Amino acid sequence: MIGFVIRRLISAVLVLFVISVAVVALFTYGPSDPAQAMCPEPKCTAERQDAIRDALNLDAPIQVQYAEYMSGIVNGRQIAFGSEAYDCDAPCFGVSFIYRVNVWDDIKDRIGPTVSVAVGAGATILLIGVPIGMFAARRRGSAADKAVIGATLVIESIPYYLFVLLAFLYLAAGAGIFPQEGYHPLTDSPLKWAWGLLLPWLALGLVNSSKYARFTRGSMIEAFNQDYVRTARSKGLAESRIVNKHALRAAVVPIVTIFGIDFGSLLTGTIFTELIFGIPGLGLRALNAVGQSDLPVIEATTLISALIIVITNLLVDLFYSVLDPRVRLG
Amino acid sequence: MTVSEVLIQGPDPEVNPEPSESGEIAGRSPMRIAMDRLLSDKVAMICAGIVLLFVLIAIFAPLLCKLFGVEVRAGDPVTDTDSFNYPVIGPPNYGFTWEAPLGLEPNSGNDLLAEWFYGARTSLLVASIATIVSTVVGVVLGLIAGYSRGWGDRVVTFVTDLFLTLPFLLVAIAVSPMLVERWRDNPSMLDDASLIALIVILSVFGWMGLARLIRGEVISLREREFIEAAHVLGMPTHRILFKELLPNLVAPIVVSFSLSLPATIAAEATLAYLGVGVTGRPSWGQTILRAQNWFDEYPLFLYAPIIGIVVLVFALNLLGDAIRDAFDPKSFR
Repeated sequence: MIGFVIRRLISAVLVLFVISVAVVALFTYGPSDPAQAMCPEPKCTAERQDAIRDALNLDAPIQVQYAEYMSGIVNGRQIAFGSEAYDCDAPCFGVSFIYRVNVWDDIKDRIGPTVSVAVGAGATILLIGVPIGMFAARRRGSAADKAVIGATLVIESIPYYLFVLLAFLYLAAGAGIFPQEGYHPLTDSPLKWAWGLLLPWLALGLVNSSKYARFTRGSMIEAFNQDYVRTARSKGLAESRIVNKHALRAAVVPIVTIFGIDFGSLLTGTIFTELIFGIPGLGLRALNAVGQSDLPVIEATTLISALIIVITNLLVDLFYSVLDPRVRLG
Repeated sequence: MTVSEVLIQGPDPEVNPEPSESGEIAGRSPMRIAMDRLLSDKVAMICAGIVLLFVLIAIFAPLLCKLFGVEVRAGDPVTDTDSFNYPVIGPPNYGFTWEAPLGLEPNSGNDLLAEWFYGARTSLLVASIATIVSTVVGVVLGLIAGYSRGWGDRVVTFVTDLFLTLPFLLVAIAVSPMLVERWRDNPSMLDDASLIALIVILSVFGWMGLARLIRGEVISLREREFIEAAHVLGMPTHRILFKELLPNLVAPIVVSFSLSLPATIAAEATLAYLGVGVTGRPSWGQTILRAQNWFDEYPLFLYAPIIGIVVLVFALNLLGDAIRDAFDPKSFR
């Protein structure tokens, strides 16, 4: 078990390392010129852009750039734009081109909303998808089963952003059943937090749950055909106990695996949900930053999202080994 | 073809083989069996018809526009919209008119039917190219990873995991303006540049699933006798990969292609809605973005592109499911 955890940790760190190098390299050597993005031509003269390039140390090789960026995250650093210099305290993710503040100060309050949306939607997916799949599996072949499967196919064909957009337009903006201005911090008032995020969770959760319903159904049906379920039946165990204790335990393992892999795309859905509902999260900030060519902010949000995904995948893998009685990793 | 194909081919439970002229049972390739099963699947054929219709619309968009007497991107905000930016003919304020069957777009006065036809074109063009590219990349990397033991496998697997870790949408919205900025001084290039950026992004994030699938298949196939035989005969590796292994992977490749095409169409519409990659070209995603504030007053504006996307994706999904079933010897429908 410990060996597995260590190997998994090393690979996670390696992935993060490669991603961070790629992000820094893209920023420095990418097709867009940071000096141009920061201070476009008519506003700044060519000399001034050169000065900015010098100050940002853009000609230095990648390992120097990378070391500077990483040491900035740990120790903080000073960043100069031409003649002006900014103190950027640790953790320093660079200084925003537009707002001239440490990017970390700008985005740290935005991680909470993003995680709130993603985790809530993830829980909704499982809470809707798994029970529906179990329901269909217990009644396989019946009309109810066919109706459920048909409905999941239709829902799956609607791109999630249309689903979220229509939910917002009709239920929040149109009918006003749900609040339009979405986000209150959890620490302020848990009730307001949950109420404001309820529709985003439901919309994102429902549209993604169809896959899980089908998957759970298939998994459960497979489990029902196993010998140990037959044994449980012949022992005369209650049906609910067979379903919930014996079959579900085996069926839930592949579901957790898929869920872990899907978390990255769930984060994508979160960006969209933030945009439509105006939730002040990482995704919305990143979208704004792209509009303004604010490269340090884009860099930081990409890095932090990758970090969130890597950590989730890691947790899922560890959880997986706890969950499945057959997985004993030595 | 290879020995294994003859071995795989078993009696088909569903479709009776057409008796050949001499009355003997004709040998049929797995591809042929799958095609027969697919052709006898009514749902699949209806979906194929719908998809074909969309493809024809995309190809003949200019012709269709002429037929309906509409012109793409020819709206004039001065003559075609009133002082409140509402269109002067058609919905929402006036009734249906053949001059603009779907009405004009508020603010710009562009014809929405022409916009829809050309939107289908952008959508199918981008999604098809991106899916083809990502399929090729996925197959090649999967073959390499599966056939090479040791480092080749480890490197490809690591890269696959790496791409699965990257937040797709964030990278897409971050990279596309960087790609586009290169051409920002040349507006005529900008159009193509953003289209190419979009295709590149969709391809780069589309190959991982197939690569994993192919790798798994190759790992099990490479231990089979016919590969061993080819190896012993001294066949060069690239020939083993592409002449011996690849024909045995047709089924998973076709299935993966047909299921990832609708996903790519949906992704394209998503990115277009976010303003990634599409500038001058009409696009369903962009129309939805502009139409969302009009959902109450002018629902047709919003629903024409939405229906386009949903119907196309739904038909492609069902068709993909049917293709998967047709290739799966275990499924009985």
